[in-house]
Amino acid sequence: MDTALKPRSTGRLMIVGFLSPTVLLLLFMVAYPIFSLVHYSFYNFSALNPDKGMDWAGLSNYEYLLSDSGIWKRFVFTGKFVFLCVTMQMILGIFVGYRLQKTFRGRDLLFTALMLPMMLSPVVAGFLWRYMLNSEWGVVNFLVSLFGFAKVDWLGQAGPALWAAAVVDTWMWTPFIILLATAAFRGIPETIYEAAEVDGASAAYVFFRITLPMSAPVLFIALILRLIDSFKQYDLFVALTGGGPGSSTETVSFAVAKTAFSYFYTGEASALAVILLCIIMGLAMILVRHLSNMGARH
Amino acid sequence: MARIELRNLSIRFGAFKAVDDVNLSIGDGEFVVYLGPSGCGKTTTLRAIAGLVDATSGDILFDGRRVNELRPSERNIAMVFQFVSLYPHLTIAENIVFPLRARGVARAEIARKLDWVTGVFRLGDELRRYPGALPPGARQKVALARAVIRDPAVLLLDEPLSAIDEQFREEMRWELGHLQRELGVTTIYVTHDQREAMSLADRIVLMNHSKIVQVAEPDRIFFEPASVFAGQFIGSPSMNLVDLVPVAGGLRLGDSTVVLGAAELPSGIAGHGRPVRLGVRPRDLRLVDGEGHALAVDDTFAVGRERFFTFRIGEAILQGTDHRRAGGGEGRVRFVPEGLMFFDAESGLRIAGGGRPA
Amino acid sequence: MTATRNQAYAHLSRWILLVLLGLYTIYNLGPILWLMISSLKSRADLFAMPPKLVFEPDFSGYQSVFGVGAARDSASSVGVFDSLMTSVFVSTVGTTVAVFLGTLAGYVCSRFEFRGKGDFMFFVLSTRMLPPVAVLVFYHMMFARLGLADTWLGLVLIAVFVNVGLATWIMKGFFDGVPKEVEQIAIVNGYSRIYAFLRLVLPMVKGGIAATAGFCFIFAWNEFAFASILTTTRAKTLPVKISTASGATGIEWTQICAAGVVLIIPVLVFFYLIRRHLLMGMTFGVLGRR
Repeated sequence: MDTALKPRSTGRLMIVGFLSPTVLLLLFMVAYPIFSLVHYSFYNFSALNPDKGMDWAGLSNYEYLLSDSGIWKRFVFTGKFVFLCVTMQMILGIFVGYRLQKTFRGRDLLFTALMLPMMLSPVVAGFLWRYMLNSEWGVVNFLVSLFGFAKVDWLGQAGPALWAAAVVDTWMWTPFIILLATAAFRGIPETIYEAAEVDGASAAYVFFRITLPMSAPVLFIALILRLIDSFKQYDLFVALTGGGPGSSTETVSFAVAKTAFSYFYTGEASALAVILLCIIMGLAMILVRHLSNMGARH
Repeated sequence: MARIELRNLSIRFGAFKAVDDVNLSIGDGEFVVYLGPSGCGKTTTLRAIAGLVDATSGDILFDGRRVNELRPSERNIAMVFQFVSLYPHLTIAENIVFPLRARGVARAEIARKLDWVTGVFRLGDELRRYPGALPPGARQKVALARAVIRDPAVLLLDEPLSAIDEQFREEMRWELGHLQRELGVTTIYVTHDQREAMSLADRIVLMNHSKIVQVAEPDRIFFEPASVFAGQFIGSPSMNLVDLVPVAGGLRLGDSTVVLGAAELPSGIAGHGRPVRLGVRPRDLRLVDGEGHALAVDDTFAVGRERFFTFRIGEAILQGTDHRRAGGGEGRVRFVPEGLMFFDAESGLRIAGGGRPA
Repeated sequence: MTATRNQAYAHLSRWILLVLLGLYTIYNLGPILWLMISSLKSRADLFAMPPKLVFEPDFSGYQSVFGVGAARDSASSVGVFDSLMTSVFVSTVGTTVAVFLGTLAGYVCSRFEFRGKGDFMFFVLSTRMLPPVAVLVFYHMMFARLGLADTWLGLVLIAVFVNVGLATWIMKGFFDGVPKEVEQIAIVNGYSRIYAFLRLVLPMVKGGIAATAGFCFIFAWNEFAFASILTTTRAKTLPVKISTASGATGIEWTQICAAGVVLIIPVLVFFYLIRRHLLMGMTFGVLGRR
């Protein structure tokens, strides 16, 4: 890149004038809340009656959270959910993306159509699948019974509900993996494949030894973004399971919302939110470092 | 090792004929260079031999066996591409042994071959590095090592040196020629650079507009070009061309006053009966102090030691070499008789003249 | 012959791949199609088992969404149309403001080097990463204190916040595609930087601004987490309304299906407009910059 324009006096004015609204907004909407969140997490108080004041609690909120089996249960559930849906999305997305590399009639149209689910509101997705997964009159169980299996109470039992949620998240977000995977595959020059063909490598060998490793940097971005998004998943569970049956499908995000807005244990909710933030920011840091490495290589 | 034969090979892309009815046979261990301007069909021919492009019609034979339906991997060929085709995520060593690994060759055998090829290409220091860390020239060397490691019957090279800087190219060219003779592998090399073709080839296949123009040894293609195109494409600076007009006592150069007399003309030209063009390379068109034609010299200039001059005949500007002694007079233009080539003006084919210098 | 065996094998694997792709397409597009079909069913047909593929179309779901016809007076329908209006207003205004801010910030980030630029860009990126519920713990109190809870203004603020980072990154990408010489020539000819930006550069990124607006609108339109917690009665967006659409007889599926389709339609329209920029928009401009 050539050198940037010199920030002379008008330039400096422009920088300040153009950036300050956004900076102010973000300070107010991101920095201030996060700062307050950390602050609250050391206090016992409830947003219901803030006038009652805030009692210093030290680390007790954190101690309580880390010793509470209910919270651990939610972390374990979130972990299972993340693992399941991200694995399914990655495999499915890479496969479909690979298949869509080949040209055939109507490919571009199909590709565009396949992108649709990720553009939908998670609430619509959640309710739509809740409707389809109904144990009595849902179309999924109808198909299940067509193949001669017994109907499954998908959303009424903890185990199937986890799978159902993962299937719905996979439905929504596999297109995202397809989108990134095809972009990554397109970036591999044709001669690389020709060389491999002449060298006598089978299609599977080429896929695992050349296509996958060479698209790894982009697929890694896809992976991290999906880890972040599925780890903080909230909307989908509100619409699909409402956290149930019981509390078996409550994610960490769900637990933060419930603690803060149903029980109004604001201090405790803040502490849990801080833990959630740290995990997400850790993943984000990995992503940012990866991106700057990628940038440096170009 | 293999003999290769192309029989009536044609390749079409839609309405475009990339290769048009090509016939050629290449001997075992021969080094053949396909030469021609871009888009002439030389690379397409090479890719058809590799199996990366399907022949529309005609046969490709290896040792008399038709290979049209075989996949590239089943043809026992190796290929080096114009743009670097190394796998960026593999080390140099892993790149070189890739063809062996892909075919499931035993580990000990792989190690032995790697040792051998490392020695041949002097790649010992680079083995653990990645392609990105190497200059383009070295990368092509690795690509070449990868190509020869499994003793292919045919080595196909698609402009392998064109992306390398000038200095390293000379060296690589020499090494490549040396290596080919040592291995004795049948080699087909595609280039648009006549110097590469002249210095490497046993035979040159000159292509233009999807057809073969001439197949000959480098010397012969230079001294006995089959057509105007061959004469002009090979040799630098390029050959001068002038239409000849029949007049009393010989042939006149365009609308000039220069008339080539019987002494300068080969027999048979006078009786050709159709328009004739003269081709003469600058080295055979000399400005001398002694005998010659009187012509108005336009300009003289020097390129290093060599001095050149130009003059006009009608619209055409002709270039020759200046052989006058320093500080000489006006000079006269001499046509070296052995250097004169006569082409049919319509078909472009050579009808007389040319030939190796005695 | 190895050739023929290989060909048979290649043939077989090609068919298997094609069948798998077909199955995936059904999994991917089937549910959306099913939603559209279901939205036209009467309540009785909706619960029919086996599901009916041939049925008398029934528009009661849509009637209640748009507050017309027989559904007008039924208690359950009240507010769905209001929610639709809330969604339209909030998404439109929020998108406009976010794109305006993002265009300014994106231009500066594309054209100038200044201290803290990297930090700013990361700061902006963080809006994509933040778990909504985390900041909501604080917003909930802040909005109450500032009187923003359950108001359109509060929702607009959220819509801007959700999108301003995205808009900045995407617009930076589009500005990067405009050669710097455009401004340099203008400045050499005595025009001001502001003039160059407004009259020369902006017209060159019109398409980019439209694409950015398309993305912002979709995200604002779909936004649920913030709206569900920060609004209670007066200012419910359509996604929030859907999530609370349960009446005396349980979940109002006819309404939900129709509202779902109504929610999807603008998304379809904008999605079509931005389809070429999907990679850029979905990765926060990290990939797919041209």
